[in-house]
Amino acid sequence: MRVAIIGTGFMGKVHAEAWSQTDARLVAFVGKKGAEGKTLADAYGLRFATTLEAVASDIDVVDICTPTHLHLEHCLRAAAATKHVICEKPLALTVAEGQRMIQACRTAGVRLLVAHVLRFFPEYRLAREIAARGDIGEPAVLRLSRCTFRPRKADNWYVDPARSGGMMLDLMVHDFDYARWVAGDVVRVFAKAAQTSVPPGGIDHALAVLTHRRGAISHIEGSWAYPPSMFLTRLEIAGAAGLIEFTSPTTAAIEIHRLDDGPSQDVALPTSPLRESPYTTQLRAFHQALVEGTEPPVRAEDGMAAVQIARAAIESVRRGAPVEIEQEGERR
Amino acid sequence: MIRLGLMSFAHVHAEAYVQNIRGIADAQLVGAADDDRARGEQCAAKLGVQPFPTYQDLLAQHLDGVIVCSENSRHRALVEMAARAGVSVLCEKPLATTLPDARAMIEVCARAGVILMVAFPMRFSAPLLQARQAVEEGRVGKIACCIGTNQGQNPGRHRVWFVKKELAGGGAVMDHTVHLVDILRWYLHTEVAEIYAQTTELLPGGNGEVETGGLILLTLANGLFASIDCSWSRPASYPTWGGLTLELIGERGVLRVDAFRQNLVIYPERSPAIGWQPWGSDANQAMMAEFVSAIRDHRVPAVTGADGYRALEVITAAYESARTGQPVRLPMADQHAEGRN
Repeated sequence: MRVAIIGTGFMGKVHAEAWSQTDARLVAFVGKKGAEGKTLADAYGLRFATTLEAVASDIDVVDICTPTHLHLEHCLRAAAATKHVICEKPLALTVAEGQRMIQACRTAGVRLLVAHVLRFFPEYRLAREIAARGDIGEPAVLRLSRCTFRPRKADNWYVDPARSGGMMLDLMVHDFDYARWVAGDVVRVFAKAAQTSVPPGGIDHALAVLTHRRGAISHIEGSWAYPPSMFLTRLEIAGAAGLIEFTSPTTAAIEIHRLDDGPSQDVALPTSPLRESPYTTQLRAFHQALVEGTEPPVRAEDGMAAVQIARAAIESVRRGAPVEIEQEGERR
Repeated sequence: MIRLGLMSFAHVHAEAYVQNIRGIADAQLVGAADDDRARGEQCAAKLGVQPFPTYQDLLAQHLDGVIVCSENSRHRALVEMAARAGVSVLCEKPLATTLPDARAMIEVCARAGVILMVAFPMRFSAPLLQARQAVEEGRVGKIACCIGTNQGQNPGRHRVWFVKKELAGGGAVMDHTVHLVDILRWYLHTEVAEIYAQTTELLPGGNGEVETGGLILLTLANGLFASIDCSWSRPASYPTWGGLTLELIGERGVLRVDAFRQNLVIYPERSPAIGWQPWGSDANQAMMAEFVSAIRDHRVPAVTGADGYRALEVITAAYESARTGQPVRLPMADQHAEGRN
């Protein structure tokens, strides 16, 4: 499989690094005209193009790593060129856009895989596996937290809700998807949110309570209100016969406390030392699903459901009331 | 295809190594043998490994390598057997229980032209590799002091030979010092110069034969100092076998690495026992891959018999220091080094 990455920003770089560890052949970067994209493409020995069409004849897969508001446009272009699509999370800015993407890929007969990388983090994967095999009984109460700092970039699309959907879509979508993966479809969401600091970007701290169809309930916390360089994650799955617990600080294999702490990153990823990055594990699994034509580990409908929960949560904050989620029946 | 055999199931790690070999595409576990016939047959059956009646029968199977998992004091005999059959060796740690044994093993493998690798899986631990890189990049500056712990539950609960001096060569010091000594040498690019050790038998399960706790203070050749806690100080109720941590105090900050902290905590409803489920990368798997790759490429592995020897030197000196109550400098005078056991 020959792959082109659209988007030469932070996630484009992360994906390029991950692809380079797989058997897939990364061919090109597609991005905005300018030195930055060219430099990145050169670093990986790839072609650089400013349109997908320019490289279309040489690729089988388009990996969309652009800001969220551009997912729809790039997905439609890829489908029109009959290329499989891998799309960074969240699948789309809105439910309607996500539906158009799924429809376009279905019509073109290409696959649409959503990069919900949390499903490939070994700690989250193992917790789900333990829950799924019934070791703690039926999952009843989930608590998932994801707390970090407000992304800082030159062209800071993350903090522009019109382009990223804001913190509740961009960040919390990880745990919305995970909660659904563990406890099944979500039927109701009630969320509360705050903007704790002055800089633009809207909501920077939110809580959402999800009600799952099978009866479980989930408490989801997302935050951009923490100080820079922090990335705190917590997981708790309480079941009828036991409890699974994980927090990133208590499992931090490496802690460094420096007297003169240097500059921190602009955008953070949760990390723990592993032989293989979860981003690599994810793209390897996606590549395999595409090559073998097997069911992908994260389906377009999963990505869609996560956007739907996030949008319901945002709507719930706006209305100050719970929001019911309508869906096409139970998916597991 | 690299053909491997397992010599003895005495060490508790044997089971994991069987799974590790199965996780390597171009390696094949041909079979296993054990001088304890009952143990050999039982373990082989449980793990689905082909049993061979004797080590010689196993070594006659055109093997490329063996993993030696016998009791510590029996490593030498098995390594010599393998080397004479022209078969490379991954030897469980500690390399041997005496320095003359360790020297003989290194020599016989060198003469036979086979690999002698010692099982120091921490060299392949993802947290330790990343922390070492941070140190190499100077993230905490020049290091002044290191604090290491390799505490565990008493392994005699699972295999009684661990607390028999004749077979294990000692207790907690013999069992749990080598990893950190090796890590310090690997991180700091220097050798141990002086050792001070105190031991205790107050923790349970020493069988009246071996120490169950130990604290070691080291001075390294470049002047910095380090401590190692090798005690079997983790009770039966501890959620896992034990752990390994290292703290480095540098001029620009502190780095702490915990090789076994990547766990989920599990609290069952029906029992008070809290359990940990590890999710980190398997260091043993990477170590086994290195052994296979070194055989395949006819090259020196990342950890050699010489590294095993250096670690054993420190253990030997630690016992001498514990006996006399005085620091011991390396290299030791021969009568001390060879007088033990």
